[in-house]
Amino acid sequence: MPEALERLLGDPWDPANPLGYAEVVAADERREMFAAAERELDAYGLSAEFVPSAYGGRLTTLDGLVRIMRPVWRRDPTLGLGYGLSSFIAAVNVWTGGSPDQQKRLAEQLLGGGRVVTGYHELAHGNDFARTELTGYGRRLNGAKEVVANARRAESMVVFARTSPEQGSRSHSQFLLSKADLPPDRLAYLPRFGSMGMRGLDLGGIVFTECPMPADALLGSPGEGIETALRSFQVTRIALPAMMVGILDTGLRSVLRFATARRLYGRTAADIPYLRATLAGSFADLLLCDAFCTVAARAVHVLPGEASVHASLVKYIVSKRLIDAMDRLSRVLGAHFYIRQGEYAIFQKLLRDVSVVGFGHAARVACLATVLPQMPRLARRADPVAEGPVAAGAVDPLFRLGADLPPLDFSRLTVTSARGRVESLSAVLRTVAGQAGADPELRRLAMVFITELNGLEADAGQLRPRDLGVDASPDALAVPARFAAVLAAGAVLGMWWHARSGFLADPAWAVAALTRLAADLGHGDGELSGALVERLASELVGRFAGARAFDLADSPVPG
Amino acid sequence: MTTAADLDRVLGDPADPRLLFSYARLAELDRAEEFPADHCRELDRFGLPAHYAPARFGGDLRSYPELLELIRTVARRDLTVAVAHAKTFLGSICVWLAGDHDQAGRLAREVRAGTPVSWALTERGHGSDLLAGEVTAYGGRLTGQKWLINNATRSSLLTVLARTSRAGGPRGFSVMLADKRTLPEGSYRHLPKVPTHGIRGADISGIEFRDAPATLVGEPGGGLELVLKALQLTRTFCAGLSLGAADQALRQATSFTRNRHLYGRRLIDMPHVRRTLGEAHAGRIVAEAVTTVAARSIHTLPGEMAVVSAVAKAFVPARVDELIAACGTLLGARAFLTEVLDHGAFQKLDRDHRVVAIFDGSSFVNQNTLINHFPALARGYRKGTVDEPGLRRTLDMSLPPPAADTHELALSSRNGSSLVQRLRAGYLPELPGAAELRQACEEVHEQLARVAPAVRDVSPESFALAQRYELCFAGAAVLGLHVVNGGDESRATAALAYILARLTGRPAGAAYDRLAEEVLDA
Repeated sequence: MPEALERLLGDPWDPANPLGYAEVVAADERREMFAAAERELDAYGLSAEFVPSAYGGRLTTLDGLVRIMRPVWRRDPTLGLGYGLSSFIAAVNVWTGGSPDQQKRLAEQLLGGGRVVTGYHELAHGNDFARTELTGYGRRLNGAKEVVANARRAESMVVFARTSPEQGSRSHSQFLLSKADLPPDRLAYLPRFGSMGMRGLDLGGIVFTECPMPADALLGSPGEGIETALRSFQVTRIALPAMMVGILDTGLRSVLRFATARRLYGRTAADIPYLRATLAGSFADLLLCDAFCTVAARAVHVLPGEASVHASLVKYIVSKRLIDAMDRLSRVLGAHFYIRQGEYAIFQKLLRDVSVVGFGHAARVACLATVLPQMPRLARRADPVAEGPVAAGAVDPLFRLGADLPPLDFSRLTVTSARGRVESLSAVLRTVAGQAGADPELRRLAMVFITELNGLEADAGQLRPRDLGVDASPDALAVPARFAAVLAAGAVLGMWWHARSGFLADPAWAVAALTRLAADLGHGDGELSGALVERLASELVGRFAGARAFDLADSPVPG
Repeated sequence: MTTAADLDRVLGDPADPRLLFSYARLAELDRAEEFPADHCRELDRFGLPAHYAPARFGGDLRSYPELLELIRTVARRDLTVAVAHAKTFLGSICVWLAGDHDQAGRLAREVRAGTPVSWALTERGHGSDLLAGEVTAYGGRLTGQKWLINNATRSSLLTVLARTSRAGGPRGFSVMLADKRTLPEGSYRHLPKVPTHGIRGADISGIEFRDAPATLVGEPGGGLELVLKALQLTRTFCAGLSLGAADQALRQATSFTRNRHLYGRRLIDMPHVRRTLGEAHAGRIVAEAVTTVAARSIHTLPGEMAVVSAVAKAFVPARVDELIAACGTLLGARAFLTEVLDHGAFQKLDRDHRVVAIFDGSSFVNQNTLINHFPALARGYRKGTVDEPGLRRTLDMSLPPPAADTHELALSSRNGSSLVQRLRAGYLPELPGAAELRQACEEVHEQLARVAPAVRDVSPESFALAQRYELCFAGAAVLGLHVVNGGDESRATAALAYILARLTGRPAGAAYDRLAEEVLDA
């Protein structure tokens, strides 16, 4: 329960709280993990959240995991990544590609409070991990992994290695290794990498020299490394940005604290119309990010065949929205965003930390490049005879917070989208736009995205094979980028349409979110009308005063 | 007299870790949050401080564009050093503008000798709201706290904005000059250094006065007006800091993408990377055009500086923040790591530069100034008011700027902006985008004319309109400089495309790609 974790962490603004922001900032200044909070999370058994229930853990839905982790990311992103997410990213490869024995072994380690390193990254190759230099020929590892979280303190690791000198996508494998099973003299650590944000993270490197591996280390069959990684990314590229939405929550909350307390030119800063519009706009950004992440996370259960497209496009859209929103909020804080001490010092830390969402776990352009080759197929209207239509009502659980979902089945993730066309999110656009009762502004905006979708079908149909590779032109890459905005709009409309009561059933937030997204497509400047600003700002200020989260869940937070 | 090129030679090879101004040494200071004292001394030896004092008082400052080039050169290497050293210029301006000849002459001698001078405007809790200031100087004696002051601790001299009439108000403040070296024991104390996001080595601290004697600068009660005029110069100056940061960001992004291989090719050969670099270069050309016009306008159109400096300060740092972010996406993890790639120079400059947008008035403050000018701007455009000789000398780079007459600075520009207003009737070159720019300018000014003056609540739409006005100004600067001086068409075309993309949504990709071809493959 997210509420339980929030209660455990206590009021973040209370200077006497050992788990409050003052201590978060202090740990960052010492370049240390937030040890006191880690002990609490250990006691809570947070690692069990990363383990599927079949192996004794508490992982049942991806959406649920994201909501559990939000309080941690709201408190300290370094904790979010260093305590949990980096282990989860590695573990998903095992849940996706490992044998039952391997899964059981890792589950035991995680349930015992252990950590696992994600060993993909080599600094020289970045997102081009097929060029990895670390080799695993003859069950021996040679090479290094760099800029990996928890390099030293994790008990086990998932290592991505070249296992065949051939070109192509079947030349790599992944290995699950316990450090205890490796001869200590074949394993060395690189000095810690200093970083601008998440300064407490143990960002290290591991060097293997003729390091023998046990016979049961290989995940799946030889040569499946890239496939397993690509399938796993479909879960983790959703999870990372979805959890990081918590950063914007705290960013907004810091600015609200500042703006409601500070008097400028004779009134509070929060009453200055321009600043109010900035706050409302950032709130709309937060809601649209959460809507897209939530629907994508739920779609992993309902439509796992679509996850490859959703995951990359969520990462593409949400990462930039979060960074830009934090940048805009920094301007409201004026000189206070620049100061590493005092009541608002948490903000400058978040501003440094949030940059990870841009490049961490795939650059935005790499996400577009993943989807681009699928665009011509996605643009073709599905052949319902060949593929079977999506059953009416089957996609509804995507949009209903808390509705039951089929189990998370890692084995159903596929490298590319299974269906001819991603139906679920674009279909909801057409459905909702056709509803006469809908808000006229919402209908108008929905039409903008439907028109865009129709245009995209034409443009994607004209992409030639040479447009789809690594030399893709910016204009070709714009096709999946525009598609991302359409899918995000579908997620927002779907959430609004299925909401029965309360703020989420009010068209205001959906109009605001679509206004922001429409600007991505060159329609308008994304600024909200005065009435929308008022509706969103009053909801925001109400939640701030009532100590409630700013995301879709609107759950209580301490403070 | 020294030039920017001389200065660059003095700074030396940034890759040589033995040198003071190397990436390695500068990164070390940043990590230790240590003031770059040796670096400042080196700049003193080079003679940079003399450029902070006008020639008529015995300094070397004859040309603001030259001063900006010098500071850009330092900022290109390291923003923290630039900010730490150049504060003396900011601290002295009030005396150059309003001090008597003796006072200014004495200060010029101090500045030449390398005495650090600071400028104490802000106070805890008031930020940019100068009228709320609580530091007093009744009877010529300072009492109260100034906070978040660059070089508050290290300076020997400070110019201080203080309340001299209990009622406050626009005529209730004066500028005072305090000399710490002669202050009685106990009449002041320093407030601790404030740890900051960027410029970590800089002395951002505060000072508390207690009945400290100080001398008046200019008229009693004239402090606010004096500070607002001084800010017109310092806001322009800030654009020079931003350009230096833009230079370094582009340098890092270009050399990294040139040497980096991904998917079997050089990063710099990938079309989306070239597009990003092309746009960043176009952004720098635009920022440079605005800065050039602004710096020359101090000499040629001083009465319009209220508008010109507000545009420069609101526009240039924001565009450069954008440019840095775009370059950061090309660097990926290397924009985040503090030791790799030139000792983490990029992440340092990213953090450092964010302060420039908040120095000496944020975009919010400057856009407010523009919004207050909307009626004058609309009127000036409608009438086509243009100071022809002044504008000519602003734009013609073959003419040295005339001596600056800072007495002509005014709190508001009655005539609007000659540069933008010339666009209405002026000659349009055969440059792609020129006609569209004029059309967009027409529309923006029609909108300006329709905005009713706000008594209190300035609407968000007015801020959006102020941003569109900034783009018109930038377009007029690019076009004006091109018409008068000629020069490379693909540069001017890409710069106009950059502006129109933001004004009208016109696609700019092809122009960026052509510019990239020219600047990257040269």
